[in-house]
Amino acid sequence: MEASELLQLVIAGLKNGSIYALLALGFTIVYAATNVINFAQGEFYMLGGMLAVFAFSGLNVPLVAAVALAVVTVAGIGALFERLAIRPRKDADPMALIIITVGGSLVFASVARHLFGSDALPLPEFTPGPSFVFAGAAIERQTIWIWVIVTATVIGLTLLYNRTRLGRAMRACMENREAARLMGIDTARVVMVSFALAAALGALAGVAVTPLTSTRFDIGAGIAVKGFAAAILGGLGSPLAAVAGGLLLGLIEQAVIPFSSVLKDVVALAVLLLVLFVRPQGLFRRTRKEKV
Amino acid sequence: MAAVPATRTLRWALAAIAGGLVLAAPFVVTDKYLLRILTFVGINLIMVAGLSLLFGYAGQISLGHAAFYGLGAYTSGFLAKLGVAWPLALVAGVAAAALGGLLLALPSLRLKGHYLAMATLGFGEIMLFFFTETEVITGGSNGLRGIPPAGLGPLVADTPQTKYLLVWAVACVVLLLAANVVRRRPGRALRAIHGSEMAAQACGIDTVRMKVQVFVISAALGGLSGVLYAHYVGFISPSTFTLHYSLVLVTMVALGGMGSLAGAVAGTVLLTMLPYADAIIPGLSRATVELLQDWESDIHGMVLILVMLFMPGGLAGWGRSFLARISVRRARSAGGDA
Repeated sequence: MEASELLQLVIAGLKNGSIYALLALGFTIVYAATNVINFAQGEFYMLGGMLAVFAFSGLNVPLVAAVALAVVTVAGIGALFERLAIRPRKDADPMALIIITVGGSLVFASVARHLFGSDALPLPEFTPGPSFVFAGAAIERQTIWIWVIVTATVIGLTLLYNRTRLGRAMRACMENREAARLMGIDTARVVMVSFALAAALGALAGVAVTPLTSTRFDIGAGIAVKGFAAAILGGLGSPLAAVAGGLLLGLIEQAVIPFSSVLKDVVALAVLLLVLFVRPQGLFRRTRKEKV
Repeated sequence: MAAVPATRTLRWALAAIAGGLVLAAPFVVTDKYLLRILTFVGINLIMVAGLSLLFGYAGQISLGHAAFYGLGAYTSGFLAKLGVAWPLALVAGVAAAALGGLLLALPSLRLKGHYLAMATLGFGEIMLFFFTETEVITGGSNGLRGIPPAGLGPLVADTPQTKYLLVWAVACVVLLLAANVVRRRPGRALRAIHGSEMAAQACGIDTVRMKVQVFVISAALGGLSGVLYAHYVGFISPSTFTLHYSLVLVTMVALGGMGSLAGAVAGTVLLTMLPYADAIIPGLSRATVELLQDWESDIHGMVLILVMLFMPGGLAGWGRSFLARISVRRARSAGGDA
């Protein structure tokens, strides 16, 4: 294989990996605050793309505003979902909460179909134009946008966690929710903000990728599995590890392509099962023993 | 103390009535459409009996049981098309599903809650991929056509009535066995695992072994219902064995009530019939039925959320409080100071 072809695969891997990273961040943030795996995370991604398309094509809002509107709306939906469906049973056993988020995912996807139909919907690139060529490999402009968004997200989250009161409260909840509550932290607010943030990140990923892939009401479950595979690679602990997990998963997927392009779609699933079975604590974390 | 026998009598009476109705249906029901739906109810019941044991009694969740349904259906359908006798194809189908369940269960042991849920979901999606891609065996996305009906020698279940009876005979046996498992020692052990795995271990229950067994049993029952489905319909394609079907199954168990076999049966009957409500409610307009079908996913999703929020005991929880009220009234009218 030539160097330029290899570079092309790496670019594609880092592009998809960035999307997985944003979803993995969503899983990780919600898990940190609640110990819940939000099976509806993929639907936030779908809703982000859908609402952006609707605002841009249906309401004729400028693209920038449409993107912002979609992300903010989905963040609101995430917060509302937490308030109405998660908080009333927040102390229930994990199975009940899994089932609630699974139910949410069914409802979100189905309502999106009623509202926006079952066709694939397109969105124009943020900044249309020819691809950049770098050492014989092409980089689409939208890919640059995706990288910018992921980088900005990582910087933003780092600032949030280290420089703000809210971020410190979120970190305290990650360490030990009960202790955080006893220290006077409003844990209910942290949980709601976490859901809103995770939903916003999912929506951002969905909006960023829709110009390349278009969007449909039923894409949520598939991307959720990949995002979760990335999150579990990262160990569902630190946000940076989630990003690393996402990028790694994107690269692994591309590494398979020269051998079989059909298999690309099961790579994430295979990685998911492999990590769950062999190293459920993720690549970067040490185990903790469960206590009675 | 009078309360217990009263409840038990009522329960047996209900079971006897249900059994009678099930047996009488093919001779009374002339509507082929309705008989077909009732057959699907039976097929789903076999699957849900296993899931009820897994969810309710062992506290494990599976979001990928469509995979075992598919393993049973494809194995048996493929072999029967090659000319293998149906009973052998059936055994092979169930064995394939059980083996798949074992392969998934062994490494999943250490996982629980959401991790296991994701592992089963991932497994389901991988199997769906293989059902679609291994065209030589499964016919790819075009599916497998011309699967012969179930039969043994000259006895062939090829009419709607005989197909119905075959499915329901199997379903009744499965439900009786499952009810027995639940009431005896294994059932108590399973409930203990659900309560607290560590406490169960401390009581000398081999929790790991128990969980693998239940998972394999539920996978085998999934395979069994897949085999019956394949030979009933005669045509199978990947679009049947999707995550969506796995979630519908979860909804049936949740609506019925985790930890209640009778509830799971009720949930299955209700949700299987829902999109074909016109078959039992005469005079229901075509538009209403289409609306129900269009909103089926929304209904399933809302059922999952609302049941978990407002009636975690499901239909069984309701039924139980109803029976309790009757027993109390009986005891009072019998003159005992309740």
